[in-house]
Amino acid sequence: MEKILKKSDLGKWVGKLSAFDCYAPTKENDHWEFNQVTYLDSLPEDYTQVNVPLKKVVLPNREVLFNFEDNRNGGPHIQEVLPEEKEVVVFGVRGCDARGVALLSKIFSESSPDIYFERRKNQLYVVGLSCYPLPGDNCFCLSVGGGPFSTQGMDILLSDIGRKYFVEVLTPKGEKLVELGWEFFAEPNDQDRQDRLRREKKAQEMFNLEIHEAEKKAGVLHHLFEDKIWKTESFRCLKCGICTYLCPTCHCFDIADELASPVPLQGKRVRVWDTCQFPDFTMHSSGHNPRPDKSSRLRQRIMHKFLYFVETYGEIMCTGCGRCVSKCPVGIDIVNILNRVESHEG
Amino acid sequence: MKDNPYLPQLARIVTIKEEVGGSRPIKSFRMQLLNGHRFDFKCGQCAMISVLGKGESMISISSSPLERDYLQFSVLKMGRVTSALHEMEQGSIVGLRGPYGNGFPLEQWTGKNLIFIGGGIGLAPIWSVLQTALRQQNDYGQLSLFYGARTSSDLVFKDELRKLKDTLPVYLSIDVEEPGWTEFVGFVPQNVADKKPSPDNAIAITCGPPIMIKFVIKTIQELGFQDNQIYTTVENKMKCGIGKCGRCNIGPHYICKDGPVYSWAKLKTLPQEY
Repeated sequence: MEKILKKSDLGKWVGKLSAFDCYAPTKENDHWEFNQVTYLDSLPEDYTQVNVPLKKVVLPNREVLFNFEDNRNGGPHIQEVLPEEKEVVVFGVRGCDARGVALLSKIFSESSPDIYFERRKNQLYVVGLSCYPLPGDNCFCLSVGGGPFSTQGMDILLSDIGRKYFVEVLTPKGEKLVELGWEFFAEPNDQDRQDRLRREKKAQEMFNLEIHEAEKKAGVLHHLFEDKIWKTESFRCLKCGICTYLCPTCHCFDIADELASPVPLQGKRVRVWDTCQFPDFTMHSSGHNPRPDKSSRLRQRIMHKFLYFVETYGEIMCTGCGRCVSKCPVGIDIVNILNRVESHEG
Repeated sequence: MKDNPYLPQLARIVTIKEEVGGSRPIKSFRMQLLNGHRFDFKCGQCAMISVLGKGESMISISSSPLERDYLQFSVLKMGRVTSALHEMEQGSIVGLRGPYGNGFPLEQWTGKNLIFIGGGIGLAPIWSVLQTALRQQNDYGQLSLFYGARTSSDLVFKDELRKLKDTLPVYLSIDVEEPGWTEFVGFVPQNVADKKPSPDNAIAITCGPPIMIKFVIKTIQELGFQDNQIYTTVENKMKCGIGKCGRCNIGPHYICKDGPVYSWAKLKTLPQEY
């Protein structure tokens, strides 16, 4: 379903969504984050990309799984803690972040469903904002199966076509949101459709970066397990993990107990983000470490996204947001690495 | 509760047996679920044991699925959780979730000779298979066991091993000479090379330290065992048990759900990150 929403009506529509917790990009010092808003009169014109991707809504960086305590008889008692039942609308989601959540669903929903992720995902309404102009210099979504006007993982996509948004309503959830403010939505005309299409074409021509034939990298990487590129490229890695923490698809986590009191026993079991880039991530309690060095850990990050996930799900586990390229303090660049491994073929 | 894969069931430790003392202690814990339910599993599968307040550890189940009265875990004291478990007393309550992993394909081994080759605490996962095969001996051919440890006191299940000798060939070994030790002295692969088990109609099941597994596989390959006649288990650090947390990932596999049991034919195609 396609609609038109005047920019001046955005706030009125959002005003009808009072049953939801609404999140929108807000500026924190020099960067953008999704924060809860009580009203939303406009999506900011200078908005680029949030720092922490949408995954934080479905997989928070710290989440209590259950509480435990000694009951009156002295034995322990476990109390499940599920995410709050609250429907959430996030506005201004870029295509890369929405696709990130869609890819995470393959891992968290398809086999042995993760009840925490599932509940948060089911309560999440994604109102996307297409990318024209591109939000960042390091965007490369177009070469990894996405695009500046990608709709995957969204319920609604808004595209700025001047004084109004071209509105693509993509799912029943999206229809529900539109119905709540139906009086603000109009039918698009041919000119609106052409405006949207022209902007999408222009946006597609704006990319500085691409992974050349990204879909063929799995076949190349398959032969590069022992290649020296992992050592040379990881040499300057600081093991900070920012490439994975801010990745829309990285999802590794730790599970740990937080103890409030040892006697009587009282505490919480929590899950927190973790990263394959930390040395102790894979270290056995014996001290043996299957991925003992930076090169094997960089290899894991890239192989997981461009080979292992492709073997299992037939898709690349990278949405081209460019954060790992932009945020790495020492300039380790997945695009550059993957474009160079071409020449290693054979 | 069942929908939540992270929620443990409470279990009571009904007996604790000290298998090995000294600086590398091993204890066997027998447990029962508090709700009286059975914990169904297959040989070679693991369970996540919670010591609430300390965390969780993935431990292989060393009892047979045919044993209806208890689950047994034989645990080497090593990290935070296993150390806390070693401090616990009979009657203490732990959490259990699982079972996890694929298990051994016993249904494919009917009529075959099973050769068990274990080292140290690595006897625990294959003990479950051995106990099961012993109870269904008519389904299998000849059973035999090779088992070794650093010293005679490091051997687990000492009493059971003594009794087992009446039923099947048991070839024990210790790494270095000790007064009074009449059996093989040397590493497990050397003992296997010395006894030369036949690969005819046989399956070799090996578990132990990574270095031992490596040389056991080399040794039995030299004896003529084919890759699909060799089974082992892979252990990696695990947190979730359901292929999500990323820790036990090797290539496209998650050891917690696609393993821990592998034929060498399969394992040799995966990256050596274990």
